Amino acid sequence: MSTAPAKRKPADYKSGLKPIWCPGCGDFGVLASLYRAFAELDLDPARTVVVSGIGCSSRLPGFVSTYGFHSLHGRPLPVAMGVKLANPELDVIAVGGDGDGFAIGAGHFPHAARRNVDITYLVMDNEIYGLTKGQVSPTSLTDQRAPSTPWGNLETPLNTLAFAVASGASFVARGASFNTKALTELIVQAMEHRGFSYIDALSPCVMFNNHQEEWKELVTDVAPDHDVHDKAAAFDLALKGGFKLGIIYREQRETLGQKYQALVEASKASDVDAMLDAFSARKGAAIGKPTA
Amino acid sequence: MTARSSVVIRLAGESGEGVISSGDILTQAAARGGYWTQTFRTYPAEIKGGPCMYQVRMGGERIYSHGKRVDLLVCFNQEAWDLHWDSLAPDGVILYDQTAVEIPEAYAARARPVRMEQLAREIGGSLRAKNMVAVGAVAGVISFTTTPIEELVLRRYAHKQGVADANIAALRAGGDEGADLRGSLAIVDPVEVEEDRILLSGNQAIAVGAVAAGLRYFAGYPITPASDILEWLSAKLPQVGGITIQCEDEIASISSVLGASYAGAKAMTATSGPGLSLMTEMLGYAGTAEIPCVIVDAQRGGPSTGLPTKTEQSDLQHALYGGHGEAPRVVIAPTTVEDCFWSAIDAFNYSERYQVPVILLTDQGLATRMEVIHRPDTSAVELWQRATAAGVQGGYRRYELTPDSVSPMGIPGQEGGQYVATGIEHDEHGHPAYTPENHVAMQTKRWAKLEPLRNGIVRHESYGDERPDIAIIGFGSTYGAVREAIDLARAEGLSVGAFYPRVLGPFPAERVEAFCAGARRVVVPEVNFTGQLARLVRGECGLRVESHAKCDGLPFTAEDVLDVITERTPA
Ligand SMILES: Cc1ncc(C[n+]2csc(CCOP(=O)(O)OP(=O)(O)O)c2C)c(N)n1
Ligand code: SF4
Repeated sequence: MSTAPAKRKPADYKSGLKPIWCPGCGDFGVLASLYRAFAELDLDPARTVVVSGIGCSSRLPGFVSTYGFHSLHGRPLPVAMGVKLANPELDVIAVGGDGDGFAIGAGHFPHAARRNVDITYLVMDNEIYGLTKGQVSPTSLTDQRAPSTPWGNLETPLNTLAFAVASGASFVARGASFNTKALTELIVQAMEHRGFSYIDALSPCVMFNNHQEEWKELVTDVAPDHDVHDKAAAFDLALKGGFKLGIIYREQRETLGQKYQALVEASKASDVDAMLDAFSARKGAAIGKPTA
Repeated sequence: MTARSSVVIRLAGESGEGVISSGDILTQAAARGGYWTQTFRTYPAEIKGGPCMYQVRMGGERIYSHGKRVDLLVCFNQEAWDLHWDSLAPDGVILYDQTAVEIPEAYAARARPVRMEQLAREIGGSLRAKNMVAVGAVAGVISFTTTPIEELVLRRYAHKQGVADANIAALRAGGDEGADLRGSLAIVDPVEVEEDRILLSGNQAIAVGAVAAGLRYFAGYPITPASDILEWLSAKLPQVGGITIQCEDEIASISSVLGASYAGAKAMTATSGPGLSLMTEMLGYAGTAEIPCVIVDAQRGGPSTGLPTKTEQSDLQHALYGGHGEAPRVVIAPTTVEDCFWSAIDAFNYSERYQVPVILLTDQGLATRMEVIHRPDTSAVELWQRATAAGVQGGYRRYELTPDSVSPMGIPGQEGGQYVATGIEHDEHGHPAYTPENHVAMQTKRWAKLEPLRNGIVRHESYGDERPDIAIIGFGSTYGAVREAIDLARAEGLSVGAFYPRVLGPFPAERVEAFCAGARRVVVPEVNFTGQLARLVRGECGLRVESHAKCDGLPFTAEDVLDVITERTPA
């Protein structure tokens, strides 16, 4: 009797490299959730790609035993798109910080969302710049004092969930690093979702913006009767603020990859010689016989 | 009167008046009629209005440059005359519409009114047929049979017989206009040849070459004069199973190209100067993380947004050195439209073999000019693939220090090849590592692997005397004009030769030095303000060189180069 191969365990996804994060950093909880989600999905490490930008959180691919692409500050989404479109067989997840994704990388976010590229984007949101030592980020609260805002932050924080819904993301959710069971489940669902899935994961920076205890107090689950397919309700929930954990929006729509696949299949197959024929200067060649 | 070996025809008028379509028809017809051609055009950066000009040079032998003195000037409006009269050859002929243009008395004997508007309306059925009247008149003056033109018209209006007939009538009426001038600039008949020829632009040649090289992922953002590559590949790449995507900007374009290449696809982007600036951070990443990719830079006039529709060769230093730190890359400068095809293949080959970004440096002049070239023999295309980690058994080291400094690349999907690509300095495993020894070892590896491109396998271009008294060193699109100038100078008894490094980075200093060894003068023509190539030659070879840099937005003509060679003051 043959036995089914043993399912992979979270530990199988550990690269062996020790995370460089500060003790207590929220990113540990995100990483643990990711290991568990990968194990639950039994992802093949050879066919999984974790893409990141630059920041403390973006060091994550190094700690995972899959393929990784530690790209540039703000660029994980276009990189992940290229990976996925070039090889649709791969499971692709992009990770990074709120500064990475919504300051320098903000120009890419709505486009990845509206294109519905089949990737998951997991943002470790600590409402601060960790790696550069504590400057405010686009999600920092108004009046927050930081090295670059000695008189308090004059700006209004970006509502990333509303931004995601407005941009056409087909899966939008929020989790928290200190709630690993729920975050694991969200990552599983996001990876299983066909299309662009966005997870905002509250992930406190204990070094420069330690809101861990407040946040634990503030979070509540999305109400069970919330209709995740209702865009207006999703907006409502996103705009209400507070920290609702769970899926706030979900829709099934064709992915960019599927559309390109269909386009390739519908195109008449050709080759370089045929392409060169179209430029031929031979008498009567490409211009054909006069059609009377 | 003996027939000329080639003629330079310049059509000029207001953009939107049919100047471009007249030039296009003439070029297509000339190519199909067996002539070699090359075109050159200037057009305003605005969408509507503004002066535009289309120059067609056609002849019985291979044509390398667009020509300087205009043999036949066709003026659609007064401004055309005002702007172009002083480009006329001493025996140049003028065709013009009398209702719109006044020609000075002194030129009357060589000028011939053609009723473009009137005949277009009366015989062609619409003012739009003006271009056909003009083309017909041109054909008459140069004794070019209208058969290929009529074939083109019939094909174009295959579904509208009435329009086709009207256009052909307008064409013939145009031809009848200057009965007295007919054949006054007669051109030699083309020789019937066996070989296959094609007519295409530099941009198109790069696009087809890239497909021949195995391109499967293209991402770009529109910018003049590179957009045609995005547009052509959008239509064609799906036919070979590939994808073309118009990204939100150049940063996304190159980022996604790297993602696709990381995943195993041959990938490319195309842009012009401003876009290359945006891509520069990722270009450094590609060099450091050792990810193959091809970037086309169709240079245009700079700095900043500069002269979007004019030519310049001013991104050379940016291509070679642009970015922070010292990141390896290869820079290839194609010399002709034909070379654009082969350079695209070289670009992918070098990129794959050495896991390095390759910049293909063309310019507005080369990117948009149409040239008749030998049809590339696709059976001669040789493709190189990157070394991959397929079949590795444990202990895979992505950045392993090998004898040739090239290390096998793990491709997602390959078992055991897992690694993290990173721009952070890393050890052989790809793990972040900042020790002095490691950084030296990795910088050495990244640069050393390119040495074969400096010292061996590259095909450079040279022309004229092999041990010249006057040595010309140039790059890219100036090649054709220099080549013709060398023919003219040698006919005057001068010893002249040119060496064109096709790969400028890494720079083949020894080859350049050897070529210039016996030269009395080393002359460096280039289209920019600061003489970037001249500085490169001085720096790399320690040679004393004369810089002949110009930045008027126009390509060199053979005559310009001849003036430099002979040290004559320009005519
Ligand atoms: C082009 C560029 N600009 C600036 C930086 C410096 N930088 C590195 S990480 C970072 C911000 C990180 O904040 P966030 O993305 O929120 O990630 P965290 O460190 O908090 O996880 C900045 C500004 C850079 N690496 N590249
Ligand atoms: S600085 Fe903040 S975000 Fe960075 S590792 Fe430390 S706690 Fe985490």
